[in-house]
Amino acid sequence: MTTVPAGGPPAGPAGGSQPWVVLTASERGASHVAVKSPNQDAVATERAGASGVVAAVADGHGHSRHLRSARGSRLAVKIGCQVAQELADRIEADSTFSAQRTPDGAAGGQAGEIARLAEEFLVPAIVGRWRDAVLADVKADPFTAAEQDLRHSGDDAVIAYGSTLLLGIALPGWLILAQIGDGDVVGVRADGRPVQPVPDDPQLDGLVTTSLCGAEPRSDFRTAVVDTAQQPLVALLLATDGYGNAQVVEEWKGAFSKDLAWMLAERDLQWLAGQLPAWAARCASSDGSADDTTVALLVSSAATPSRAGRPGDDGSEETTIPAVPHVNTVPANVPAEPHSIEPVTMRQLAHRSAPEPVILERVATAPAHHRPASHGHETTELVSHEPETTELVSHEPATNEIPKLPHHQGNEESRDGRGRDDHGSGGR
Amino acid sequence: MTETLMPGGGVARRPLHFIVMADCSGSMKGEKMQALNYALRSMLPHLVDWERDQLQAQLLIRILAFASLPRWYVGEPVPVADLSAHWRNLDYVPMGRTNMGPAFRAVAEVLAPDRLERRALRPAILLVTDGLPTDPPGSFESGLAALTETAAGRSALRLAVAIGRDANSEPLDRFRSPEVPVLVADGTDEIADRLVTASIAVSRMSEIGVNRGALAEQLNLAEPTRRSQPDQVAGPRGTTGSFEDIL
Repeated sequence: MTTVPAGGPPAGPAGGSQPWVVLTASERGASHVAVKSPNQDAVATERAGASGVVAAVADGHGHSRHLRSARGSRLAVKIGCQVAQELADRIEADSTFSAQRTPDGAAGGQAGEIARLAEEFLVPAIVGRWRDAVLADVKADPFTAAEQDLRHSGDDAVIAYGSTLLLGIALPGWLILAQIGDGDVVGVRADGRPVQPVPDDPQLDGLVTTSLCGAEPRSDFRTAVVDTAQQPLVALLLATDGYGNAQVVEEWKGAFSKDLAWMLAERDLQWLAGQLPAWAARCASSDGSADDTTVALLVSSAATPSRAGRPGDDGSEETTIPAVPHVNTVPANVPAEPHSIEPVTMRQLAHRSAPEPVILERVATAPAHHRPASHGHETTELVSHEPETTELVSHEPATNEIPKLPHHQGNEESRDGRGRDDHGSGGR
Repeated sequence: MTETLMPGGGVARRPLHFIVMADCSGSMKGEKMQALNYALRSMLPHLVDWERDQLQAQLLIRILAFASLPRWYVGEPVPVADLSAHWRNLDYVPMGRTNMGPAFRAVAEVLAPDRLERRALRPAILLVTDGLPTDPPGSFESGLAALTETAAGRSALRLAVAIGRDANSEPLDRFRSPEVPVLVADGTDEIADRLVTASIAVSRMSEIGVNRGALAEQLNLAEPTRRSQPDQVAGPRGTTGSFEDIL
C-alpha cells in the first residue's frame, strides 16, 4: 500500500515541478516460459533527491552466450538507480540548479549543464560500477563447467551478463534520460503527441543491440535532458523491446501516446495501475512478441487532475490507493471505479483516427477487485510486502510519510517459484 | 468482469519472412522441376505445423523464381498456410540461365529497412539450384553484396540446397550463412528431404536459446553428405559492441 502525492501546488522551480508517480510491470515472455528460461528483464524504482524519482528497466540478452543476463539486468537497474540518486543529490546541492528560473520558466543553460553531468558522471559511473559488480559476482560465484561450455572462447566475463538499460530520472523541472541498447523511451504530452527525447542509435537495426557488456558502452549510451517547464509531459514510458516488438502498428509510439493521454485524462491512477500488468502480459504472450516485457510508466501527478485517487478530491491531504484492485488490498474507502466504456471483443489492428483508445480485449475475471487479466503476471511490485500486485508509488517531498522503497531486483524468483540460483548475488 | 484497454494499435506475433529462391533455369526441365515442386509442396505442411505449434512468429513466405532474370512467383508475403492451400507449380524457363546476382538483388530490395517491418525477426532465405551461376562477370558478387549489405540480409539465415553434387559450388558457400552447410540432394528423390531439413532450420530460428552453433550441429547431423563444414558462429559485429539479440 502506498500513497499518491498530497494536494496543493507542486514544490520546486516555477512551472516545472510535478511529483511523479511510477507504475511498473514485468512479464516473462511466452517463449521463455516454453523453454523454462527465466524472465531476464528487470525493473527498479527509487526516490531521487528530495522530490524526484528514478525508474529503470533492463533487458538481459537472450542469446545463450549471455548466460547470466538475468543477473546482469538486475545489477543494471540497481546500479542505475543508485547512480541516478547521486546525480539528483548533486543537482540539488548545486546552487546553479536551485537558482530560480526566469519569469517565463526558462532555465537558461541549466539543461546543458545537466546534460554534461549525465554524460560525464551518470554514464561513466553506471558503466564502471556495473562492470565492477559483475566481476564481483563472478568472483563470488565462478562460472560452472556447464556455463563455461556456453561461453565463447575469449569472452570477457561481463559478456555473460549482457544487458540493456533504460533510465528515467524525474526531478522538479527536469527529466534526465539515459539508454543503452534497444527498448523504448516515449514521452507523452497532454495533447497526445509523442516525444522521443533520446536520440536514435543507427547501430540498433532491430536485429542486434548495443549493451552494457559491449566494447564501448560509454559511447553507446544515449542521454537526453527534458526541461519539463518548457515541454511539459504527462507521462514517460520506459519499455524493454518486448513491448515495442509486440505492437502491430509500425509507428506505434504515436498511437500509444495518443491513447495514453486520453486514458490519463479520463481514468485514474488506480485504474491505470490495474491495466499495466495486463499490457505487459499481452505483449509477452504468444499473441504478442512472446518476449520478456517490462515497463515503467512515470505519470505526472498533473496528468489525472480530477479522478478518484487524486489527492485532495475528498478534502484530505492524502489518499491511499492500492494499485491493482485486489481482494486483500482494496480499502473500504476507495470506491470501485465504474467503467464507462463498453467492452469490445474484436481486436482492432490498425490505428484509427477516433479519439477512443483501442480496446483489445475484455478479460473475463471473477470479482471486479481481482486483477484484470488472468495470465499469472510476473508483476514486479514497487513494494514487496504486497505480492501479486503492482502498486503506485509517488515520490514526494518528505512531508508525506512514505515508506522507503526496498530494492526489488530479484524479487521475481520468489514469485515464480523457480528459485533461480543466484549464488550470493541475490538482492542485487 | 474487468476490461483491458491497451494504448496503441494492438499486438501481434512478430513476422518471420521466409524467402525461397527457386532455380527455374532451363536445366531444371523435366524431372528436376517436378521434384522441386514436389519438395516445395512437401515442405509447406511442415512449416504450417510448426507455425501452429510455436509461440512467437507469424511465418510469411515469398517465392522468387529465377533464371536469366528473377521473377516473383509469390511476391507479397503470405501466410504459409495460405500458400500451402493454394499451391501452384513452378515452371522452368526454356533456355533460361542461372543468373543469381539479379535474384540476390531482388531479395535485397524486399529486405531493405523501408520494406521490412520494424519488428520482423531475422529472415530466412533458401536458395535451391541445380547448377553453377551463369552470371556475367561481377554480377554474382555485386548481387550478393547488395543482399548482405542490408541488415536483414546480412543477419538472415541463408540456406542453400544443391540439386546434385556438381551444384555444391564455391558460390553457394559464399551465399550460405557461414555456420550452416550446403544441403546436397544427390538425386531428385532427395530434394524433398533437404527442403524439410531446411524448414526445420527456419523454424528453429526464432526459438529462444538456439544459437547458430546448435543450428549448425543439427543441420550437420541431418546432412551426412555435406561437403562444406560450418565455420565458427559469428561473434559480435563490428567494433561497437553489438550483440545478437535473440529475445
